[in-house]
Amino acid sequence: MKYLLSLVTALALGVLAVAANAAEPVRIGYSIAKTGLFSQAAPSQITAYELWASQVNAAGGLDVAGEQRPVELVWYDDESDPAKAAQIYEKLISDDGVDLLLAPWGTPHHLNVAGVVESHGFPMVGNTAASVAIREVQPGNIWFPTSAIPDKIGTELAALAKSANVTSVAIIANVLPFAQENLQFLVPALEAQGIEVKVNESYPPDISDMTALLTRIKSSGVDGVIALSYPADSFLYMGQAKELGIDQPFQFLLVGPTIAAFQGAFGEVANGIVTLGHWSPHQAAWPKGKAFFDAYVEANGMAPDYLDSALAYMSCEILQQAVAVAGLDRDKLREAISSSTFDTINGPVRFEGVENVVTPTAFLQLQGGDMHLVWPAEAATSQYQPR
Amino acid sequence: MDILFSPQLLFSALVLGALYALIALGLNLVYGTMRLLNIAHGDLVMIGAYAAFWLFTLTGISPLIGLPVIAVLTAGVGVALYSVLFRGQLEGTQSVAQLEANSLLLFFGISVVLQNVMALAFTASPRAYRHLDDVYHVAGVAMTGNRVATLLIAVLVLAGVVIFLKSTIYGLAVTALIQSRDAAKVVGINVSQVQVGSFALGFGVAGIAGALISMAEQISPFMGFPFTIAAFVVIILGGLGNIAGGIIAGVLLGFIEIYAVALTSATYRSILLYGIFVGVLLIRPQGLFGKTRGG
Repeated sequence: MKYLLSLVTALALGVLAVAANAAEPVRIGYSIAKTGLFSQAAPSQITAYELWASQVNAAGGLDVAGEQRPVELVWYDDESDPAKAAQIYEKLISDDGVDLLLAPWGTPHHLNVAGVVESHGFPMVGNTAASVAIREVQPGNIWFPTSAIPDKIGTELAALAKSANVTSVAIIANVLPFAQENLQFLVPALEAQGIEVKVNESYPPDISDMTALLTRIKSSGVDGVIALSYPADSFLYMGQAKELGIDQPFQFLLVGPTIAAFQGAFGEVANGIVTLGHWSPHQAAWPKGKAFFDAYVEANGMAPDYLDSALAYMSCEILQQAVAVAGLDRDKLREAISSSTFDTINGPVRFEGVENVVTPTAFLQLQGGDMHLVWPAEAATSQYQPR
Repeated sequence: MDILFSPQLLFSALVLGALYALIALGLNLVYGTMRLLNIAHGDLVMIGAYAAFWLFTLTGISPLIGLPVIAVLTAGVGVALYSVLFRGQLEGTQSVAQLEANSLLLFFGISVVLQNVMALAFTASPRAYRHLDDVYHVAGVAMTGNRVATLLIAVLVLAGVVIFLKSTIYGLAVTALIQSRDAAKVVGINVSQVQVGSFALGFGVAGIAGALISMAEQISPFMGFPFTIAAFVVIILGGLGNIAGGIIAGVLLGFIEIYAVALTSATYRSILLYGIFVGVLLIRPQGLFGKTRGG
């Protein structure tokens, strides 16, 4: 009896030890712009990370090469400072010993963190970086799922405008880097399509009134308006364009309309606005997209940002699928991310070098309160409709 | 050149100028009476904007109807800050320079705390709502309802505060304190009471400005800084502590911004705006309407 009791106790302890080991969380680190200049943009990324983590844990944990383990998110506020983001990733890797990394918000942060992950040979799937500069990053430990790269945006936007029978446009552009990089590629692309650029004016990010600018556009007789805008100026444009009766059939805003608050502020007035984005829950070929949209709305009480939230979630899906195959070994993980095709809410994703070579550069249009992909044809969920 | 005579531009300049004057008024009251440099002023505008947003979103009550409640809320924040942090500073600090330096640091801390508390409470995601967004056409001018309301309310509040300062005992006490703190004490003015009143009035007006802004712009916990900068430009341009000068400078700034962009390009908006500001200070370091006088 004594031996039996010892055996049972030993077995019980063994089971407990195995259970404890199995329950050890996979720690996933990232820095986030919780405060500072970019803090308005970061929640769309944080909420996507948190949703993914909660879904993974609710489903029994992350599949680490066949072993289910819960995930634990470890993050620090980088105060919107790219240099601080690099320090945080150094700390996450060296001091905190995290098992995996998720990306910070924004291009400058990604570029700064790229050196850290490269020096440690620590694979990280990026998300919200969008610049031609990402192609100059050393490939191997960082990947960018976005297809919203300014040179491609310029070409595709000009092609969309041409197909929408636009013959002349007015361009107004924020002086901040992403807008200016787009401007640099857009103007020659429009000219190549035979579209005349009648107004081309940049404005500072702290602009508080666009009356004079929009009055010039109105009197220019163009049939398209392209505002290379950030969220705050997209709101300003929309409100004042409505007041001044800017009624051009083709109106494009770069960043802003994909935020839930934009539709809350303008409702049907914003119908027909075209914007940057390569994901929509309406694409039947990407069944995970609708499930993500519904889960996000349920968790957060608002629609996801069609650009940043979708990209952040995609990066989690890519990491999840790679870890299922490769486990946490960094060399195997690097190999898996570099060579696999991933099934995401935005359809299949595959990388060549640092770039996603499958997802097309695309545009969304607000139609009846819904965001539909209208370009390119192979990804479209609805036809482009003039305003 | 025809654009200069556009009534549409005039309307926009009036709205922007009135808003600048309103935002700056609160800052000027606090600086004028106490020499406190409130760099958290834009964050009080932000709190007013959030109060209006939640009031409208949760109850459907128009921010215009809720203005008194919003003003009392931000005034309450002002009274609390005065009681906890600034009363001691004002009583214990002898030199104006020291008071300005201390207040700058304290308000910087308050600004960071307010922004992050709001971000934690409501997330940093931008928010917006639709209210009075119908467009009216009057004499060839297109006017969105919420911009008309902003102009009217701003003018009413500005006029109300000016009348209050000019024609009530309490207002005259505030004016006296702005002119000379020592002389105000000598003639028996209860300085502490006037100071707390100025805090409440200044913060209350900031809350009203925030509520008006929320009807037409997106709001976020970090929206305040540009308003703080604009308010400082206005009160320095108008002469620190000069209430009437600040109002005129606010309107002037709105006109400069609108017409400078109309005459040149939006590209030069900030260069022209701040260039004119620096130019005025080079010629008149005390501001357009400021007087050179001892502390």
